[in-house]
Amino acid sequence: MAATLVEAPAEGPTPSPSAPETPRARRSVARRWLGSGLLIAFLAFLILVPAGFVLLASMTDSVPRPGNISLSPTLGNFGVLGVPEVRQAFVNSMVMAIAATLLAGLIGGTLAFLAARTDIRLPKLVYLVGLMPMFLPSYVGALAWSMLGSPNAGLLNIGLRDVGLPAFVNMYSMPGLVLVFAMYYAPYTFLMVHAALSLMSPDLEEAAQIHGSSTRTMLRRISFPLALPAVLGSAILTFTLIFENFPVAQVLGTPGGVDTLPTFIFRLLNATPSRGNESAAIAVVLVAVVIIATTLQNRVIAKRSFTTVTGKGVKNKKIALGRWRTPALLGVLGFFTLSILLPLLALVVTAGRATPYMTSIGDLFQPGAFDLSIIGTVLQSSSFLDATGNSVVVSLVAATAGTVLAFLCGYAVYRTTVSGRRLIEGISMVPLAIPAVVLGMGLLWTWLVMPIPLYGTLAVMAVAFVAVQSPQGFRGIASSILQTDRDLEDSAVMLGASRTRAVLAVTVPLMKVGLLSTFVLLLMLSMRELTVPLFLYTTDTKILSIAIYDAFENGGALRGAAAMSLLYCVVMFVLSYIPRRLANR
Amino acid sequence: MDVTIANLSLHYGDFQAVKDLSLDIADGESVVMLGQSGCGKTSTMRCVAGLEEPSAGSISIGGRTVFDAAAGTRVPANKRNVGLVFQSYAVWPHLTVLENVAFPLRMQKVGKAAMREKALTTLRTVGLEDQADKSASALSGGQMQRVALARSLAMEPAIMLLDEPLSNLDARLRDDLRVELRRLQLELGLTSIYVTHDQSEALALADRVAVMQHGRIAQLAAPTEIYENPASASIAAFLGVLNIFAVRPSTGHRLEAADHPLELVSESAGLGDVPASVSIRPEHVRVTVDRDEQVDNAWEGVVEVTVFQGATARCSVRLDAGPVVEATVAGSAIKVFHPGDRVHVHVDARDVKVLPDEVPGIVPAAPVEAPRSELVGAGRAGE
Repeated sequence: MAATLVEAPAEGPTPSPSAPETPRARRSVARRWLGSGLLIAFLAFLILVPAGFVLLASMTDSVPRPGNISLSPTLGNFGVLGVPEVRQAFVNSMVMAIAATLLAGLIGGTLAFLAARTDIRLPKLVYLVGLMPMFLPSYVGALAWSMLGSPNAGLLNIGLRDVGLPAFVNMYSMPGLVLVFAMYYAPYTFLMVHAALSLMSPDLEEAAQIHGSSTRTMLRRISFPLALPAVLGSAILTFTLIFENFPVAQVLGTPGGVDTLPTFIFRLLNATPSRGNESAAIAVVLVAVVIIATTLQNRVIAKRSFTTVTGKGVKNKKIALGRWRTPALLGVLGFFTLSILLPLLALVVTAGRATPYMTSIGDLFQPGAFDLSIIGTVLQSSSFLDATGNSVVVSLVAATAGTVLAFLCGYAVYRTTVSGRRLIEGISMVPLAIPAVVLGMGLLWTWLVMPIPLYGTLAVMAVAFVAVQSPQGFRGIASSILQTDRDLEDSAVMLGASRTRAVLAVTVPLMKVGLLSTFVLLLMLSMRELTVPLFLYTTDTKILSIAIYDAFENGGALRGAAAMSLLYCVVMFVLSYIPRRLANR
Repeated sequence: MDVTIANLSLHYGDFQAVKDLSLDIADGESVVMLGQSGCGKTSTMRCVAGLEEPSAGSISIGGRTVFDAAAGTRVPANKRNVGLVFQSYAVWPHLTVLENVAFPLRMQKVGKAAMREKALTTLRTVGLEDQADKSASALSGGQMQRVALARSLAMEPAIMLLDEPLSNLDARLRDDLRVELRRLQLELGLTSIYVTHDQSEALALADRVAVMQHGRIAQLAAPTEIYENPASASIAAFLGVLNIFAVRPSTGHRLEAADHPLELVSESAGLGDVPASVSIRPEHVRVTVDRDEQVDNAWEGVVEVTVFQGATARCSVRLDAGPVVEATVAGSAIKVFHPGDRVHVHVDARDVKVLPDEVPGIVPAAPVEAPRSELVGAGRAGE
């Protein structure tokens, strides 16, 4: 309310307060919608229009085109759902997502338990190992693993033949997909479970021991049940992310003939002639599954209040691993080897090998067979420099705009009483329920149709990123606003500052860390975004992720792709380092 | 400056936090709003501050109307020249103590030198001049509260609002600051509204206490009057009277407890059909080993528990008739009475007060109208 307090001129006759439809009441309604209306319209334009276009295309006979938005309704597009390939893709998606979620949960949960609650050696390293796969964009991991584990020519298979074993590794398969997804999505479980386990009030566990339980019983009856909501919440999140993921499935699934719903949608859309309406129909199914999962997740998170996370950063008692201390650490290092070390090695080897043909790992040690000059070549190539420049510009603009938008939305929702606050939050969260493939498709149609000439510019990329990342931005800002006592701002107003001045002088400086980390988060997400730009890029607006994907898809440029991936990893690592520096201050 | 609140109402969605409340505060007067959480006391204060927008009524400060729902007058909070000390202190941690206190002066566009001078003078008033250049986040709770106070004093407010300013401090500090607040208020002649749920704080700081229940003022009177003559049994209970027994309808001076076979003699007469109770302060209950035939009310019972409190002791006696009577006795009596002892309990008729259960017109909100969760994030739906 306070934020909308404006001095209103005195009015004539006094209307009775009980009659709701007085001019005063109506004007007060207008006042309450004024600020929020603008925000809602902007968000709707950004997010709901693209989503609406996909829904529209799924139920009409042609996709939206400039000057021609078809409105003739048909349910014929949904016939595609009966096609055996589509059903197979659906089953594949489900099996893959469920299996990978279980494996990711097992890996992430175990690492979290080891790092947070046991006396394992080098706990800081274990923590880093749990977190690290997050800094490697999952499709770079997938690219590296395709270099490692493609049937026959994969580096692992060459190595196996060297030692006289059969070359059995095949990453272009369902188990390959599951393994790669599980490794690169394990950090989500790791982070949530680690937080739950390390912030758990030690009193709860000590009480269990006072009342006579052994360590084992305490873990089974008290600690794990308390961490269960975190496990479930992260599992559903992981499921959603894997289910809708396009790049990994495209890199590893498509060559082996394992279709998933997102890759199938992409293929239909790029078929000649394009079958956009049918891909929109499949997209609707994809959205439905994701919405069900997201709803489940919200339920689980809503119940989380009982986890009694104290947030005091108290030191919990460490559990002795005994004779498992060394094997546990070896297991952790094994995971590190598979998720980080081998893929990076594969990228280095691929970037450095002079010839794509190799019969033995030993070939690399022949004179002239291995040289990394390609990295220098790539660093000087205009295509790499242009793509990097584009990526940086787009990401900076998108992250800045995204942070400002999220702040406006968060402020309106949590600090004012304007009407439509729920709507602002709701629309900001919509992209969570819409897979990137679908939103990318919708954004393409939207900006082809819009009379604003943004399509084919870098600006459309930035606009799309702001739309796709609005949930992450909103959440980041929301938690920061909620942690900032509103009295601090109100007191500035009481002491004579205008509301705007109070926000700028008090709230923004106090939220500095929250604003910065939201900005960096959005920056990183923009830097690694691949699916959405895949729909929107043109030859002039290639960004780094697209350049790598392109180089990889044209088999000939594999060395360049590997070299760019390595450079890309360096950039991402530097970026990821910034928020931790900020948090430490 | 004087404050006039007339027919004020405040809604949070369907929940009415303040109901048709009127209150006049004289220039230099200190009014304490006392009540349980959710009674509307903080809401009323935030309306005066301009942080909430009432749904009806008017507020004027020093003759200037700052809010009038009917006329559409809404002076924003930053133009009201009202000081507000928050329960959470709301001292800005990213600024120094001096910068905090100088903030209102900067808003008033006071020159640099004068600003520093005045901020330091104000800090001296609260005894913090030597902390001026410290970061505000390095202060203790009590110091932060002084900074918050100084910050509001520096703007020379027309009226000072204090929202449970002492509730986050520990007991010792609270007592000291309470005395200091009263001294400052009297010295500076500050018109103030003070919100608290602590009855001893209210009695100490007020010229008049406004007891609030369910969005209305149930009783408005001087502290001594409130203490001696609470207007209803529920107010008496809130003020810490422990012995309250519901009585059967009667108009005489001999009353029967509703739930026990117990007869009480009172100087005041029964209230007829109005639901009523009798209230007896624990310090008016005498516990003896022998029976005193002269006293109007003399009952027998067994000591249940005694608690030593230093100068006094508390003694709970279960009467043979059923109810437990709490008595405040001399501390030394702890050596005389032991749990299980048979004793006699005496109360003079003039100390037995017949009170209506509720002040007429005070009704609890319908149970469904609890503030909805969506409102919690928006305004302070709590009080």
